[in-house]
Amino acid sequence: MCWPYIGWLLAFVVAPMILILLYAFTKQGNSVLMLNFTLENFAKFFSDSIFPAVLWRSLKIAFMTTVVCLLLGYPAAYFIAKMDEKKQAFFILLITLPMWINMLIRTYAWKGILSFTDMSSQIKVMIGMVYNFLPFMILQIHASLSKLDKNLIVAANDLGANNVQTFLRVVLPLSIPGIISGITLVFLPAVSSFFIPKLLGGGEYVLIGNLIENYFISVGDWNYGSAISLIMAMVIIISMYFTKKADKKVGGEE
Amino acid sequence: MKKIICYLLVVMLVLPLVGCNKGEKSDFDPIAEFGSDELYVYNWGEYIGENTIDEFERRYNVTVHYKTFDSNEEMYTTLLGGDSYDIIVPSDYMVERLIKENMIQKLDISLITNIDNIADNLDSPNYDPDHSYSIPYFQGTVGIVYDTTKVDPQEVEEKGWDILFDSKYAGQVYMYDADRDNFMPAMKALGFSLNTNDPNEIQQCYDLLMKQRKEVNPGYVTDEVNDDMINGLKALAVVYSGAASYIISENEDMAYCEPYQGTNIWSDAMCIPSNAKNVKLAHAWINFNLEKEVAIDNSLYVGYTSGNKLALEELSNGEFKDISSYKIRTGYPLDEEYHDDESLKKTLGELWTHVKAGN
Repeated sequence: MCWPYIGWLLAFVVAPMILILLYAFTKQGNSVLMLNFTLENFAKFFSDSIFPAVLWRSLKIAFMTTVVCLLLGYPAAYFIAKMDEKKQAFFILLITLPMWINMLIRTYAWKGILSFTDMSSQIKVMIGMVYNFLPFMILQIHASLSKLDKNLIVAANDLGANNVQTFLRVVLPLSIPGIISGITLVFLPAVSSFFIPKLLGGGEYVLIGNLIENYFISVGDWNYGSAISLIMAMVIIISMYFTKKADKKVGGEE
Repeated sequence: MKKIICYLLVVMLVLPLVGCNKGEKSDFDPIAEFGSDELYVYNWGEYIGENTIDEFERRYNVTVHYKTFDSNEEMYTTLLGGDSYDIIVPSDYMVERLIKENMIQKLDISLITNIDNIADNLDSPNYDPDHSYSIPYFQGTVGIVYDTTKVDPQEVEEKGWDILFDSKYAGQVYMYDADRDNFMPAMKALGFSLNTNDPNEIQQCYDLLMKQRKEVNPGYVTDEVNDDMINGLKALAVVYSGAASYIISENEDMAYCEPYQGTNIWSDAMCIPSNAKNVKLAHAWINFNLEKEVAIDNSLYVGYTSGNKLALEELSNGEFKDISSYKIRTGYPLDEEYHDDESLKKTLGELWTHVKAGN
């Protein structure tokens, strides 16, 4: 029964991954030898001054975007979750509404708006990222908050906790799974996004995604581009490992 | 009630499909004449007249499948991937490379009866001197479009490319973010050839571009440059001549300068890939696009300088009379075409990545 899924995974997930692996660990051969296995691409990545800087810049802006999304998204999700159900549905609709329009088009609109200001490229890119990824944060946190049993809050109040204590010791810990999946959904696309910095940064703000695109399309060095993609994938896997771990830790305390 | 709405919706969905089936086609039998009734064309975005495809379909009773690309490299990668097209429109250096790699086929000149319509200056291009592989489509230069309310025309003409590196215009400059076009202004400002292979000269250009990044803080853009210059967002921008024609026609304050230090002279040409399936019909397409009226329609809509003698004559004395970027530039010995050079392209590509990333 499951063979169509296996076939799908093999053709569209495993095969491309193997190709990227193959490209990353080889360099262009000559007419006699098609493939030369090498670690050159990786050595180049770490020896060249540009790449640690770009990697650091990507992680930094993704981190800042995630923090801003969390700070803006949590209160929004919290207040929506407190409303009655009909209102909740309406506000969730409002938050998903912009997603009906293509992300690229909305980012173009921001380009127009921001072109008349004197902000630095970094701020512009961050505005674009927060705008695009905020709904993911709100929806995830809202989902975990709305599942929360209201009786727990009543019980906490009954046992003498004031509103702040109730929030900090009951509501917040129970919403951590939502926060963590929200962080994952914001951080991962932010760290690898390439068209937001491309459009809003005016081409002078290069993130790791732009670097990969550049090496594939302009420079035409697919081997090196694949090596960067692989390093990118490692960064993502490591960050996912840590979020999973944080998730488990919180779950274990319950 | 629900059923009625349902039927209505179905009718509404189907109607547009029926509408497509226009019955105005000719009696022409394309199978008998060309052996096929379908043509796959792969061209630059926004690079064809409004009526060209319809007109061709109607006359020969065929279907044209039209796809577009953004850069020569993108097109090349698609071809390498094994996709089959009947017509492609690469630029000069890419034609050179495709010939070298046997990726385009020799044309049957006897089928291209309008070949004499090719513009005089493209009679014998370096990349394909006797047109055995390619027929010119559009041509042009690269230059500086500038806002006459912010920059004195005399200053632009005097300084040429140097003005782009002048810190006086910090925050007011757009550079073109594509392959070799980004290094071209630096190369010409320093008096080098566009095709220079000298590491020392390339290093000097790189240093100049890095200095420009620090002192002038330019934006690196591609197609966005059109809208941004029409809106007057910056004072100076490196653009293709055709884009300049479009910008100037939309914003009167803008003017175009082709620097005296020399520039890149380019042309794009129609070719038939080696793996094309509808070769005879492809020849008919090329011949069709060489017709005067078709070439005029193409050039008028796109704004780029035609590769067609008759269209060129009519438009440069008519519609584009006052637009200097439409005219063919002659008499500048430092003007050059790009030559195909894999390793140079790669070197410049990597250096450019460094310039963009800022270290």
